Amino acid sequence: MIEVKGLKKSFGSLEILKGIDTTIEKGEKVVVIGPSGSGKSTFLRCLNMLEKPTAGSVIFEGSDLTKMSEKQLYKVREKMGMVFQHFHLFPHLTIRKNLTLAPVKLGLMTKEQANESAEIMLKKVGLYNKAESYPNMLSGGQKQRIAIARSLVMNPDVMLFDEPTSALDPEMVGEVLELMKQLANEGMTMVVVTHEMGFAREVGSRVMFIDNGVIAEENTPEKFFAAPDSPRLRAFLSKVL
Amino acid sequence: MDEFLQKLNDTFIVDDRWKYLTNGLKTTLIITLFAVMLGMALGFIVAVIRATHDKTGRLKVLNFISKIYLTVIRGTPVMVQLLIIYYVIFASVRIDKTLVGILAFGINSGAYVAEIVRSGIMSIDGGQFEAGASLGMNYNKTMTFIILPQAFKNVLPALANECIVLLKETSVAGYIALEDLTKGGDIIRSVTYEAFLPLIAVALIYLVIVVGLSSLVGRLERRLKKSDRG
Repeated sequence: MIEVKGLKKSFGSLEILKGIDTTIEKGEKVVVIGPSGSGKSTFLRCLNMLEKPTAGSVIFEGSDLTKMSEKQLYKVREKMGMVFQHFHLFPHLTIRKNLTLAPVKLGLMTKEQANESAEIMLKKVGLYNKAESYPNMLSGGQKQRIAIARSLVMNPDVMLFDEPTSALDPEMVGEVLELMKQLANEGMTMVVVTHEMGFAREVGSRVMFIDNGVIAEENTPEKFFAAPDSPRLRAFLSKVL
Repeated sequence: MDEFLQKLNDTFIVDDRWKYLTNGLKTTLIITLFAVMLGMALGFIVAVIRATHDKTGRLKVLNFISKIYLTVIRGTPVMVQLLIIYYVIFASVRIDKTLVGILAFGINSGAYVAEIVRSGIMSIDGGQFEAGASLGMNYNKTMTFIILPQAFKNVLPALANECIVLLKETSVAGYIALEDLTKGGDIIRSVTYEAFLPLIAVALIYLVIVVGLSSLVGRLERRLKKSDRG
């Protein structure tokens, strides 16, 4: 579904990604871990071209995103949901409008269809009663669940999560991970950058360790955590586990 | 006391002189209202051009023109601009002076509105652009439906203040012989040779309008804050 070849990204003279090659199949749940500054978020943001790679290609459903025009990219992004660390809900709109804005303004749905779809998603994330509230009336965990619902309304083929629980109070992490687990069980293709090792172990179909701009190691969660190959990963795991 | 009443009578009642003030006020309000509308429209366009250039690097030519506009307008006194528009640009054309006033003050105000709105746009977290983009909304759609509504709300009090400033600035309109409120008072002074009463009356009228508008702005700010708390 997503094929990454020789992906490089530099900011000025600082090279963040130094050549990433990987393939993400439909239905996979790839969990990306690694130390801060390793390039894992940059990698994720290159997948939907929020960051433009310096070299290499990202092939999504058969077409190379690095060769696309801006216009085509926006079309592709409709199919790639993204959830941010800091939610980025639209504070001036009600929750309902947050969910329906994009599909309606992009002409993908009528207002009625979007409303219907929004209500289904709000029920799914357990926040149907918040439809007429504004984002700043919600807790962090609720905001992130809304952000996930907002992406789901677009009916994406893949969901990208950029540290979705890192900005949350500890007691709210669970509700967001629970929802992500539910999504995973329904077969959603997911790429998740996170520090939640428990989630990686339990939900991931593959765990990827990015260190210093390269994939240092990737494996099934069982092998990844039980028998890490590289000393760098062993050192990292001993610090976080 | 009798002397004071006599002066009041001379200043405002004799020959219906109060009409200088009411007609002047009408002119002042008309110029202010339409200049505000022109200024807002110009200001929003320039702000969006400048912000778009800063964020995406597009619109180089328009940005250049906008920068010249901002530099010239903010770098010269509004009175000089008014005189130039009337005596230079429209020198050979018969044109309604009120319209000249609206143009001059509107174009002037637009420059200040532009910087206010631009600061509002720049104050919106970049994550809002990314959220829009990640949902497939292009720059224009994100700007229109996500950024501008938030920016507008943030700068509403500053914009309202700009209206108040503009109202007072129109008092130099008399320099092109426009009979606005200030000029009206001055005309009375020149016929009655009595300066105190007409000028104080003019000042009071401005003061009442400004205080009224300011309290409206205050109420607006409180209401906006309330909706922020939810």
